[in-house]
Amino acid sequence: MDFKIKIKDKEYHIELKEEKGGVKVKIGDKEFAFGSKKEKILTQSSSIKKDSSKKEIVSSLSGLVTSVFVKEGENIKAGQKVLTLSAMKMENEIVSENGGKIKKILVKENQQVKEGEVLIVLI
Amino acid sequence: MQIEKFKSVESTNKKAKEMKGALPWTVVLSEVQEKGYGRKGGEWYSPKGGLYFSVILPKGEIDDLQTITILAAFIVAKTIKEDFNVEPLIKLPNDVLLNGRKICGILTENVIGDEVKFSVIGIGINTNTESFPLELKDIATSLKMETGKEVDDMEMLEKIITGLKNQFKTISQ
Repeated sequence: MDFKIKIKDKEYHIELKEEKGGVKVKIGDKEFAFGSKKEKILTQSSSIKKDSSKKEIVSSLSGLVTSVFVKEGENIKAGQKVLTLSAMKMENEIVSENGGKIKKILVKENQQVKEGEVLIVLI
Repeated sequence: MQIEKFKSVESTNKKAKEMKGALPWTVVLSEVQEKGYGRKGGEWYSPKGGLYFSVILPKGEIDDLQTITILAAFIVAKTIKEDFNVEPLIKLPNDVLLNGRKICGILTENVIGDEVKFSVIGIGINTNTESFPLELKDIATSLKMETGKEVDDMEMLEKIITGLKNQFKTISQ
């Protein structure tokens, strides 16, 4: 199936083919395959192994902090939403795995953060 | 297909996020969204006549969730193209346009702790919307306004869900 797509005012011609075990997307001369080969074209991010016993909230993806819902000195519960991160074209609510008192918030709204970066430190 | 139907909700994504314990692939469908939204808090005009739904996704890797978000735009465009013989334009990653105006918006939201705990993909399609307010009429349109044909929302919903399930199965293998 053929499509035209538009990214930042530039149009691209796309061919989308469903093939055995996957989807093949052809953009101009380049081909990208999604499927059982687990080829990762769109992103290179890997999952960060976090140490839950360490009372830090670490970003597992790069993105833009859009809202911070907590303050330094505030007591939070495990599972509480602490901030939102707009990343990888999705909106992501970051929740704390641990309860505790917030010692330090290391990021603010509209700040770009990297994967693995410490966002909040708990006591 | 497990569908939770509502006459009106603030947002189907918001409603889905409140449904703790709901099974993956549960669909939250509403005739109206009072406060429909897109990425970065942008509003999504959601009067009666449109197709507004959210799908609770199975737990997945963040990369796969991004891929399914992008593929969702292809699935919607493919359904519209095949059923209405029109040429939709995919504006990656979240929109589908028809004749230069927005017809569909897609928003995936995740809840993330040490891992992805919950994911929902929300899709709003202007199917049978009759008109748009002045400030939107140059940037938004509906399938009915463009083709003159009434859209069978349930048929379209089923095709999109089937497409999402098939693609999710493929990318998470």
